[in-house]
Amino acid sequence: MSFSGERVFVVDDDPGVRKSLARLLRSAGLEPIAFESPQEFLRTLGAEPAGCAILDVTMPGLDGLTLQRELTSRGSELPVIFLTGHGDVPKSVQAMKGGAKDFLTKPVDDEVLLDAVRRALEVDRAGRESRRERTEIQKRLAALTPREREVMEGVVAGRLNKQIASDLGISEKTVKVHRGRVMEKMAASSVAELVRMADRAALRRP
Amino acid sequence: MNWVTVVWLFVASACLTLSGIHLLIGIRQPRASYLWFAISAAACATIAAFELALMDADTPARYGTLVRWTHVPIFAFVASLILFVRSELNAGSPWLAAAVIAVRGAASLVVNFLRSPNLNYTEITSLRHVPFLGQMVSVAEGTTSGWTRLGELSSLVFLAFLADATRTVWRRGDRRKAIFVGGGAALCVLFGSLSSALIHRGVLSTPYMVSIPFFAVLLAMSYELTSDVLRAIDLSRRLGMSEEALRERELQAALAARAANLGYWSWDVASGDFWMNDRAKEVRGFGAVERIDFERFLESVHPDDREEFRHAVRESLGSGGEFNRDYRVLRPDGEIRWIVSLGAVERDESGRVTRVHGVSIDATKRRLAEIEAQRREAEFAHLSRVAIVGELSGSIAHELNQPLTAILSNAQAAQRFLSQNGGNLGELREILQDIVDEDKLAGEIIRRLRGLLKKGEVDLQRLDLAEASADVLKLMRTDFVDRGISLKTELAGDLPQVLADRVQIQQVLLNLLTNACDAVAGAEPQERRLLLRVDLSDGFVHVSLADRGAGLPAEEIERVFEPFVTTKSQGLGLGLTVCRTIITAHGGRLWATNNPDRGATFHFELPAAGAP
Repeated sequence: MSFSGERVFVVDDDPGVRKSLARLLRSAGLEPIAFESPQEFLRTLGAEPAGCAILDVTMPGLDGLTLQRELTSRGSELPVIFLTGHGDVPKSVQAMKGGAKDFLTKPVDDEVLLDAVRRALEVDRAGRESRRERTEIQKRLAALTPREREVMEGVVAGRLNKQIASDLGISEKTVKVHRGRVMEKMAASSVAELVRMADRAALRRP
Repeated sequence: MNWVTVVWLFVASACLTLSGIHLLIGIRQPRASYLWFAISAAACATIAAFELALMDADTPARYGTLVRWTHVPIFAFVASLILFVRSELNAGSPWLAAAVIAVRGAASLVVNFLRSPNLNYTEITSLRHVPFLGQMVSVAEGTTSGWTRLGELSSLVFLAFLADATRTVWRRGDRRKAIFVGGGAALCVLFGSLSSALIHRGVLSTPYMVSIPFFAVLLAMSYELTSDVLRAIDLSRRLGMSEEALRERELQAALAARAANLGYWSWDVASGDFWMNDRAKEVRGFGAVERIDFERFLESVHPDDREEFRHAVRESLGSGGEFNRDYRVLRPDGEIRWIVSLGAVERDESGRVTRVHGVSIDATKRRLAEIEAQRREAEFAHLSRVAIVGELSGSIAHELNQPLTAILSNAQAAQRFLSQNGGNLGELREILQDIVDEDKLAGEIIRRLRGLLKKGEVDLQRLDLAEASADVLKLMRTDFVDRGISLKTELAGDLPQVLADRVQIQQVLLNLLTNACDAVAGAEPQERRLLLRVDLSDGFVHVSLADRGAGLPAEEIERVFEPFVTTKSQGLGLGLTVCRTIITAHGGRLWATNNPDRGATFHFELPAAGAP
């Protein structure tokens, strides 16, 4: 069920825990990579990691929460699951605020952990998909001429050709030509699709 | 009145006085010698009276009769004087004494009264008046009897008796008495009998003057008796004083003994018998009239202490030194008493031990209080340990969770592998091995924890301080990590062991380490550093824990060890007090210093144990 390239990053300073967690993930068909310290993990982490991270809250040097902040500041959207030896409420709140997907207490049951991992992977997948889509839209947007972009903005804003022509001070016919090029360049089959793309690209202000 | 009357009346009255005095003393304080002396003096007075009458006699017949009756007091005098010498000086041959009395009795009481007119004369023809001391006195003219010699014989034996008595007293070392009493008496008797003998033989033409030397004898004797009385009075006065002082001391001693619960005992080594006061008996559960020998005494000592006690007594008997021993007594009712005992041996001239004297104190109450105090101390140390372990519970739970997590995940991974494809045997074997290892790890943590929470007797054993520290550090690992504290250890190689209670020493380390963590908790992250050092200094294993916290105000550096002094918002301020009690009880020292640059260092040292 693992998608190719998806990894589960396990960061725990306890070798026994590290090894057993990796084993459990492998038994569920996942591809774990274990790190004994956050530093090592950060060094290895590529630009676009696919998968999710399981972090121990309590680690020497750099703890899980700091690591989470470090990831965010690097622009990583890797979903994080926290493991803790003791249910520390302030820390769990902090972790969830930092965007943690789950905060699990050790020892953790396999189903609980694997469910959390699967959910995180789905989130990651969706995230990556939407990021990929956004990049594509951005690419198409970049191909538009400034006039075409202006016309597109008018279309997604729900204005009529006539209104757009008046807004831009051009003829309605010319608007139609630009509109046709926009639909072509953006590979949109309908105005509704174009509006969706604009939403993705945060072009339209709600 | 003329001189003769004056002298003889004086002698007679003096003798009567002496007689009366000694009779009174003799009656009040029954002592035979006083009575014999009184009789002698009375006899002497009678002799003097007869002599005076003789000097005044007007017919030969009357003279003869008077001489005859004079023999009666003479006999009385001789006999009583002999008995006096025998009883007072405890000297003189009893055979000679008997001989004198027999011969004198035969002469004065038998022959004297069978013969006419008396012992000394066969016939008194006339009386002659001769001048004596400026006066005319009567003396007899007539034929001296041969029986006179019997009287003289008795006088000779009397002299022999006195000489013998004198010699005995002299030899006894009482020379003054020998000269005064023995010698003086002998001289006077010699003078008296010699003068009579000369009168009877017509050599001397004087009246009888036996009473005068006899009086001198009496004076000498009386002097001796009086000085005896004076000495007795003096002695009795001094005795009275010391008796009073003695009684006072005895009373004080008895009071002190009662106040201190003291028991006395004294052991006669030769007879083996013990004497002890009621207190000493009561403590040991002995009967009031029971005869106690050494074995019986030993029986009262607790079986666990018995051999040691016997050994101590034997050693003390051998060395003659003082005997100082604490032991327990097991009473017949099963009650145990703690005894503190001090003894000393007494020796005779040859150096042989004759007696052992001892004082024993029933220290049970004190001992029980000590045990109770120790128990409370241990309980308190335990509570304080529980408290500090409680503070660490989060850290400990985390430590315990790690292996539990590993075990659970390993086991569930194995289940999944098995359900999927029967699993890879090699992998399963590896998983099982890991589960076993992790389980052991968890067991270790539980063991350490139980050790710390254990409530038990102090158990001194050889301990490696570096190893004991490592154990504590393992329990605290998560705490350090959690609080971002880094700890560095510097352990000197080849450290000697110490004799200590593992749990208590770990408690001290735990306390110092949590305190140090608290001290640096508020510091900048780069200053959250601790340094634990274990090294050897002057025969002590020295442990120091330096922090980079705020340090201690100079006036607090000693106060932090006092109870209820704390710098923390929660906490009783008893941790360091308990630590110091523990380290001191181990013969060590716990103290604090401020670091020159930053923070404080807590030190403790314990004496290094000798080679096992």
